[in-house]
Amino acid sequence: MPAAAAASRAGLPVLEAASLVRDYGPVRAVDHVSFRLAAGEFLSVFGPNGAGKTSLLRLLAGGLRPTAGEVRVSGIPLTVGDRAARARIGILSHLSFLYGRLTARENLRFYGRLHGLDDLDSRVPDRLADVGLEGYADSPVDTLSRGTVQRLAVARALLHDPGIVLLDEPYTGLDAYAGAMLQELLSALKDGGRTVVMVTHNLGRGLELADRVAIQVRGSFVFEAERADLDAVGLERSYRRAVEGRA
Amino acid sequence: MTVYLRQVAAIVRKDLLLEVRTGERLAAMGALTVLVAVLFHFAIDQGLVRMQLLAAGLIWMTILFGGMLGMGRTFEMEREQGAIQGLLTSPVPLDGIYLAKVVSNFVLVTLIEVVALAAYWLFFGFNYGNDPLLLAGVLGVATLGFVAVTTLFSAISAQTNMGQTLLPILIFPLLVPVVIFGVTATGRIFASRPVQEVEGSLYLLAAFTVVALTAGTILFRYVVEE
Repeated sequence: MPAAAAASRAGLPVLEAASLVRDYGPVRAVDHVSFRLAAGEFLSVFGPNGAGKTSLLRLLAGGLRPTAGEVRVSGIPLTVGDRAARARIGILSHLSFLYGRLTARENLRFYGRLHGLDDLDSRVPDRLADVGLEGYADSPVDTLSRGTVQRLAVARALLHDPGIVLLDEPYTGLDAYAGAMLQELLSALKDGGRTVVMVTHNLGRGLELADRVAIQVRGSFVFEAERADLDAVGLERSYRRAVEGRA
Repeated sequence: MTVYLRQVAAIVRKDLLLEVRTGERLAAMGALTVLVAVLFHFAIDQGLVRMQLLAAGLIWMTILFGGMLGMGRTFEMEREQGAIQGLLTSPVPLDGIYLAKVVSNFVLVTLIEVVALAAYWLFFGFNYGNDPLLLAGVLGVATLGFVAVTTLFSAISAQTNMGQTLLPILIFPLLVPVVIFGVTATGRIFASRPVQEVEGSLYLLAAFTVVALTAGTILFRYVVEE
């Protein structure tokens, strides 16, 4: 993560949302959201259905154009179609972005080529091993379980060594075992110095890894706190109050 | 090869690999192409009509209908598991995604053209003239224009509830130049007319194709960006 490290050394936030707004016609999905994350920081964003969490993540990924405000990656405004910035961002969603009729290896090689990676012969097996899927390299994705597909999606998201990782409800559809495995993988991401934003309904999982938390309701961050200032009970109480409009 | 071309090639390769594995689009396009030829075989009284005079028109109509059927599903495979988001948030420029889809559709439609020519030769014994290179050139240029327009509009229709129902309504008026100049050029090639009689239509097809590709490359961004 040379860019992230350089930004961090320069005192710049690696990822910054500056008064982000996104409207869909008359509906405001993201309403003046602002935050700054340094290298290695993990932000968990909680919120009820329809709070605008996924829209926020798509804005951060450069996949959606803001109505107002901007996203900055290492101090540089992110524009839709910004190839250099996109190469530094990895996205993991509850949708895998994988092709069911391709094998695990073929999917990773495809995304590797999109990222212009040259060392796919060594990188792909390494990433598969990282998520414990070396034995599934030649299995079509259609034949894999939901948890296995999600682990493969983690490998896809991290294939190009992104400095920034965006996670959209990564636990959706996972059983307890697969959820625990994903939690370990995300913990390793954090330990590896990556800047992470995760949006989730799962208060326990989100709090466990976070350095900071935010609660998004009707597009806005209505509650923000440092992890150190919050325990699980406090978060649950804050969440309930935020959702009920008493934050 | 630049990174850009490698990215485009990766998408083309992936699309064609998926097509080989599923056969979804090619099977439907091929079946419709043969079926249309069979129906014309029974629908036209060949004792009253000189079929060779209709050859170019029949073949082009078949190619357009068959091609439309498959290209309407260009972005269907990308909907599976949100793969389109994977593409749109990757470092591939949006025009690169468009060009890759044009190339993979071009390959599919070219295969359908081979099927159409073979089917009409089989059922009607059409004479395709004595200049196969010129015929390939005209078909290639016209197909590229057809595919350039249809790929763009399949991206538009994929985002609407009416989907593939909408595609022919949007697209056929825009394909009038391909039909007029494609039929004229191929008809003259089939009649073994001099090259000079084909050139005019070929140049107009080429101009249409250049405009369609340029417009598609520019406009695709506005179609897929939200």
